[in-house]
Amino acid sequence: MRFELFIAIRYLRAKRRQAVVGVITAISVIGVAAGVASLIIALAITNGMRRDLQERLVGSTAHVELMRVAGDGIRDWRPLLARLRKTPHVTAAAPGLYGQVLISRGARSGGGLIKGVIPGDERTVGDLLQGVSVGSADGLEPVVSETIQRSKHEAAGAVTARKGRSAAEEQQVSELGDLDVRQDPAVQAEADAQAARVLAAVHPVPPIVIGKDLAETLGASVGDTLLVTSPQGDLTPMGLVPKYQRFRLEGIFKSGFYQYDSSYAFLRLADAQRLFNEPDLISVISFKVDDLYHADRVGKVLEEAAGKGFQTTNWMEQNRELFRALKLEQVVTFIVLALIVCVAALNILIALTMMVMEKTRDIAVLMSFGVTAAQVRRVFLFQGLLISVIGTVLGTIVGYGLSWAGGHYRFPLDAAVYSIDYLPFAPKVLDAVIVAAVSLGVSLVATLYPSGSAAKVLPAEALRYE
Amino acid sequence: MERNLSDGSNAFGLEPFPRMGERAVVLRAEGLTKRYAAVARSNSTKGAGASVPAELELFSELDLTVHAGEMVAIVGESGAGKSSLLHLLAALDRPSGGEVWYGEERLSGMSERQASEFRNRRVGYVWQFHYLLPEFTAVENVAMPLLARGMGRKAALEQGCLWLERVGLAGREEHRSGELSGGEQQRVSLARALVTEPEVLLADEPTGDLDGRTAEAVFGLIQKLHLNHGLTSVLVTHNLEFAERCDRMLRLREGKLIDTRAS
Repeated sequence: MRFELFIAIRYLRAKRRQAVVGVITAISVIGVAAGVASLIIALAITNGMRRDLQERLVGSTAHVELMRVAGDGIRDWRPLLARLRKTPHVTAAAPGLYGQVLISRGARSGGGLIKGVIPGDERTVGDLLQGVSVGSADGLEPVVSETIQRSKHEAAGAVTARKGRSAAEEQQVSELGDLDVRQDPAVQAEADAQAARVLAAVHPVPPIVIGKDLAETLGASVGDTLLVTSPQGDLTPMGLVPKYQRFRLEGIFKSGFYQYDSSYAFLRLADAQRLFNEPDLISVISFKVDDLYHADRVGKVLEEAAGKGFQTTNWMEQNRELFRALKLEQVVTFIVLALIVCVAALNILIALTMMVMEKTRDIAVLMSFGVTAAQVRRVFLFQGLLISVIGTVLGTIVGYGLSWAGGHYRFPLDAAVYSIDYLPFAPKVLDAVIVAAVSLGVSLVATLYPSGSAAKVLPAEALRYE
Repeated sequence: MERNLSDGSNAFGLEPFPRMGERAVVLRAEGLTKRYAAVARSNSTKGAGASVPAELELFSELDLTVHAGEMVAIVGESGAGKSSLLHLLAALDRPSGGEVWYGEERLSGMSERQASEFRNRRVGYVWQFHYLLPEFTAVENVAMPLLARGMGRKAALEQGCLWLERVGLAGREEHRSGELSGGEQQRVSLARALVTEPEVLLADEPTGDLDGRTAEAVFGLIQKLHLNHGLTSVLVTHNLEFAERCDRMLRLREGKLIDTRAS
């Protein structure tokens, strides 16, 4: 073992002539441990919160959205959708038509963002429709009755017959049902159009699903009729008249995110197209990808695959401010809790300074038989680092232990207040490494002064007055 | 008390001592001066009570030559500067003027690191108080200079055991300084000074803190080791009887070193 470490360990273990040095040393170790443990726990909680928020947020929305740069909507979208679905790393894709509207019920009204969707597709890219807590989103399904199903297959049969398919193939198409019908965009376009016609006949008032906060704003409950007014109105001899249409409230969803719950409203794609006077046009194609942290890369690939005039955004870009705020919160938490480590480092400084004062004579004796000033400095440097290492290791064990226990035995929270019913812990190895490095670094700085003053001891001076 | 040693016999008649002229000079101090800065009150124009630095001169232009194998005693009144002189000889302090030579090596030309290495290899130093490190066992204390120079722990402790045996403390290796008597502590301290096999032993009142019998035993041990290991020794002592038994006795008085037997 290195000479300096040998001395340092023995000094640390030995009984002190001045008991207070031992007490301060113990306090330093406990202080470092407490600081490190609280840092690890706090970071585990902020990570957990961040992860939870991210999971819910990313679950609610698409990872990547493709749209026209000019904002003029995507025409002839079915072949494009079919083609882009096959892009590597894309796990799901869904068409959508967005539009700003005013939704009113009686005297109460609120601004809303309509998204016209095909529920079967939409569910694969976002969780909002799964989050319907009152009523149901089933009304949005285009396939609600046998009539529609049948009419879809009839249409599919007609188209495939036109394309000269054999009777066996036709049979296969019918058996595979809706999903396989969708494989051929031309087949599906016709099927959807026919289904919409049938549906309009069955349900004269089309369905709508809105967010919880929007519903509260409107005072609406399931079964109510809402008036949706679109600014893209009809041009009449009287001028431009806003277009409005009645919808029946079929379901209310709750995502936990105010931006969605307070403004989103889902319509069937065909209804939305009718409302906005945009026959067979969509504004975005939403995608889910296999690795959400590579959403930007996949977005680039999709942009290129879609061709000129298209652009994409991803969940990271859309929520950049939110995650930046979370990161800032984490940094601030780190800095505040790192102050505990600084206080502990101050204890190390005091303990070592007192120890150097106590050991001045011994330092002089060591120097008298050839121990160099640099060796003396290292003895006290090692001593400070030993205190810090012991404290850091203890703190890491306690911090990780409590984080694990916190994750294992869920600590309940009031879901109404925190929108999550337990305290999530997600300790990260990298955090522990950073915390340990900070703890050791701060402690190292604290040892510089006492070890420096130990190295400055002049043997003859120190022993002259003994 | 002062007698002439020109006949070449040593003070305690153990062996005939060769004439100095035949031996190499091991240690030489030339024009050695030591002053200390002291703060004195002054009534000068700066105003009553103003502090001005003043200097206290312990000795000046002091010369000393020690030959190989010689055992030199330095005596003098308390405060005469004996310990300070020994500190200068051991490179524990820097002189205000003059020079100390060990053979061809000049102490003032050494860097801090070289001075440390010099102390570790060329001289052994014994203090009036044992100054053993209380956290360490006797053998660890003895082996400490070897450990400091980077020797392996096992080899260093073996040497430590050997030297404890030489000072008559075999079997006390694992005892801490608190478990040893005053004489034993000083023996351990002597072993620590000699474990590096230095050529010069510098001892600052090594028996000053011991009772008569113990002091006698420790001094006898120093003499024995001095002879057996071919040491060159410089001892500061208040004990004139011990000083008499050395090859030469020098008296430090009023800043000058006087060879008592030459007068």
